Amino acid sequence: MTGAKLPIIPLPTNCPGCGISLDVEELRKHVYVCACGHHFRLGADAWLALIADRGTWQERYGDVRPHDLLNWKVPKPYQAIIEQLREEGLNEAVRTGTCTLGGRTIWLAAFDFRFVGGTLSIVAGERLARGMEQAAAARLPYVLVAASGGARMQEGVLALMQMAKVNAALGRLDAAEVPFFSVLTDPTFGGTAASLALLGDINIAEPGAAIGFTGPRVIKQATYADLPAGFQSADFQLARGQVDMVVPRTELRRLLAHLLEMYP
Amino acid sequence: MSKHGRKPDETTLTVWQVVELARHAERPYSMDYIRRMAPDFIELHGDRLSGDDPALVGGIGTWHGRSTMFLGHQKGRSLKERVARNWGMMHPEGYRKAIRLAQHAAKFRFPIISLIDTPGAYPGAAAEERGIAAAIAKAIMEWFRIQVPIVAAVIGEGGSGGALGMGVADRVIMLENAIYSVASPEAAASIVWRDNTRKVEAAEQLQLTSRDLLAMGVVEEVVTEPKGSARTDYDATARALDEALQRHMQQLLAQPPAELLQHRYERFRYIDSLIQAEPHFGPKID
Repeated sequence: MTGAKLPIIPLPTNCPGCGISLDVEELRKHVYVCACGHHFRLGADAWLALIADRGTWQERYGDVRPHDLLNWKVPKPYQAIIEQLREEGLNEAVRTGTCTLGGRTIWLAAFDFRFVGGTLSIVAGERLARGMEQAAAARLPYVLVAASGGARMQEGVLALMQMAKVNAALGRLDAAEVPFFSVLTDPTFGGTAASLALLGDINIAEPGAAIGFTGPRVIKQATYADLPAGFQSADFQLARGQVDMVVPRTELRRLLAHLLEMYP
Repeated sequence: MSKHGRKPDETTLTVWQVVELARHAERPYSMDYIRRMAPDFIELHGDRLSGDDPALVGGIGTWHGRSTMFLGHQKGRSLKERVARNWGMMHPEGYRKAIRLAQHAAKFRFPIISLIDTPGAYPGAAAEERGIAAAIAKAIMEWFRIQVPIVAAVIGEGGSGGALGMGVADRVIMLENAIYSVASPEAAASIVWRDNTRKVEAAEQLQLTSRDLLAMGVVEEVVTEPKGSARTDYDATARALDEALQRHMQQLLAQPPAELLQHRYERFRYIDSLIQAEPHFGPKID
């Protein structure tokens, strides 16, 4: 079994990693990893295509939709932001559902950084929690792909509460002794890092991904500290004991399939 | 109804004035309440892994005749103490200490009071290097497994994941002029405007006052502060807080542990149920 062909994504003309002029079709075949090792960010649609066995993806809870709760108006009305993203074909910051991977049925959830920075929102939290409850009840492994700036400001404290909502459901998954594999991609920060993303039974980071709680800009503002190169990188988190491994995207699918064979 | 002759909704303060009151340097801190509620309080230190976090105090005291575990963010009074306590901003050790003490409390069937008063978890390099995100994440998950009643109270600032890491409880109450928010107004402004000077506008949109949180169903009760706010009368504020905490705790102490944990799960699992009830949100159960 293989994954589906990845969708075409907008790319710069040159790789930010090595400066080489990009061959889009070639890059697409290599799951948007440049020969130099630079990993381009993928949206949820691309992740679902990459991980799910071809033709097996069944989206769930896609009809749970966001709307403006706090009457958030400035600098841009939140309702207008959501509607514009929806017109662009994006369906919230988390998409979830079931599929097979290497023939084994799993629950899969992918963040989409293009939707308000992949922020954890009420709808994102609801989709994650429902999927985890279903996975726990059906004893299906749960695979997460994280890419998120944190909790969504425009949903106020209710966005913050999603961290508790999701971790409550994650506790059920944990108690059901179902494996939870978390793939951390660039970037994974804030409330997403401080809730589900770093609690995988196995945490797998993409090379070059920035992973942390507070972003470097805010750390500099708050503490006037100069951060060393590579601070909060995937390798930094590996050295600090926060992730189990740093794995290139080209090997991810095979690795997950292999892990799914080894875990109950 | 208030003992002070005012209802919380009669405030004439602007949102930003509430933020300033919540952060006021003369506002009572956790230890001001704990000393009044449990004069025999004994502080316990350390996460048993690598250190102790002075931004969080924890320990046992006798409260209404019962040994009780108290946890609370502690901002410092003097500049020296503020530095030592890191302005109430916890490092990973703090969250690990909190869970150690919560498990300790569960072992001996002590109920837990958590007092929240933090701008947020420490936004610095040292916290990142020691895994602050995972420490908060783990704490949030573990709170759901603590088999004794937990009542949390936001007494000043409830900032971001740093506050929520201490705020998974069976009941969450809030002092009238406390705030509880997804991020500090400055951080929210920095994220949304890329300009942290837009903090007043951010605060107005975030809906972070006690009245807002009560309306959203995120807290169960707002405790009225004395006229002129908590800082003008520590004793009266402590009595009002004590009364509310005790009332909630009494109800929880009657519940068997399994029921307690199930209710705690549902409290957070459906915390946005007022919003979910809106037709546009989509079906609650598929």
